[in-house]
Amino acid sequence: MATKKKGLLKVIILGDTGVGKTSLMNQFVNRKFSGQYKATIGADFLTKEIMVDDRVVTMQIWDTAGQERFQSLGVAFYRGADCCVLVFDVTLPNTFKSLDSWRDEFLVQACPRDPENFPFVVLGNKIDLGNAAVPSKRAERWCQSKNNIPYFETSAKDATNVEQAFQAIAKNALAQESEQDLYNEFPDQIKLTGDSNRFNNNDAGCSC
Amino acid sequence: MRRLNNLSESSDYLTFRSSVPLRNICVDNSDGKSWKVYDAGPKSVRCPLIFVPPACGTAEVYFRQILHLSACGYRVIAVEAPRSYWNVNDWCIGFQLLLDHLRLDKVHLFGASLGKFWMLPAIFLKRLIMPSLVTKSYDPDIIEAVDFVAEKVVLPFQVNTINRLELASRLTLNCASSRVHPERIRGLQFVTIMDVFDEYALCSPVREEIYDAFPNGKLAQMKTGGNFVYLSKYEEVNVHIKIHLRKFESGSYSAILVPYDTS
Repeated sequence: MATKKKGLLKVIILGDTGVGKTSLMNQFVNRKFSGQYKATIGADFLTKEIMVDDRVVTMQIWDTAGQERFQSLGVAFYRGADCCVLVFDVTLPNTFKSLDSWRDEFLVQACPRDPENFPFVVLGNKIDLGNAAVPSKRAERWCQSKNNIPYFETSAKDATNVEQAFQAIAKNALAQESEQDLYNEFPDQIKLTGDSNRFNNNDAGCSC
Repeated sequence: MRRLNNLSESSDYLTFRSSVPLRNICVDNSDGKSWKVYDAGPKSVRCPLIFVPPACGTAEVYFRQILHLSACGYRVIAVEAPRSYWNVNDWCIGFQLLLDHLRLDKVHLFGASLGKFWMLPAIFLKRLIMPSLVTKSYDPDIIEAVDFVAEKVVLPFQVNTINRLELASRLTLNCASSRVHPERIRGLQFVTIMDVFDEYALCSPVREEIYDAFPNGKLAQMKTGGNFVYLSKYEEVNVHIKIHLRKFESGSYSAILVPYDTS
């Protein structure tokens, strides 16, 4: 048990400002909700150990600033992400329309190895408000068109579907993080040919 | 195949060497002991970030933090103790004198391995062994980091630029058992513990004890990084440092000159 390597899953939450990214994370990790809105600056993260199919994995959940002017950390934190959560507010159609560009933004910044099959999960938040302007079907259609992204309607306020959504997020992330990455001692193969640039491309030396 | 150690020829390292002066500061009169200090970023910042190297490293191991964080407006200082300190107490007194000399009252501390252990119960010190400087990793970032530390520490020793006695002092400090009261630091509110999930010198019980020693600590875990994550995965480390320091940005403990513009 002690020798078994633990896994670290890195999850990035993206979406327009005010859709409830921070609240969803807080509800999942701390089981707390605050009605007061406070803009996230840069990015911050919380960690939680969870069980997925009898494995203990550490979920590192990165909450990001929805407002571009607060994105002060650069893009280094996108690297090595295992799953990306796209959040919109079901009462505000514009936040749903933004999902396309958030998804593109993520793929550009994170450069996942297999962008086609990279796991996303979409959360339509604030269903407790009761006046959904984005019908489930419309959201589901969009998700299907993007290689069947799982879709959950959530409420960070009364915790509806939050646990279920994050379980799905962990499962999808874990499926992507292959057995090999998590538990196998054998690293990636090294190519002995045609790889010499790797060790030289940082050189300030002669470029002629 | 000969593996090149790229880091000490990288443009980052060359920029660091050509832009940040190394100062030698004597804080006490005995045996000409002097601290090596790199001090970068705005001097008007009175609560800088201070990096304390691991026993097997030099202040230079933090060149990627010094360079990139000072460029963002942080005042960043990396210090290296004289190698004639033989116990924790000597080290702490010397460090205090150094802070007095630099006229610093409160600072943000970043330590790795031994550096960090000045703030920890020394039971951990005993269990900590010098990383063997051999890595099983195939990640080029990690290999470069290990090569860099080996070049800066092991090679000078082999060609006698580091006095054997000095190295002995480091090893003694590294393996000595002396107690720093954990209850005194348990109350520290703002601690970030960085940790990697791949192989490194610390065994997992020690890891758990460190977690326990800082119950309020924020755990900044990284998938890989090896023993010298501040070299191998410096971008991730720097993000975690920025997140840690952001809490202080609007107050008198700010380590950055211009507080982040939130208007």
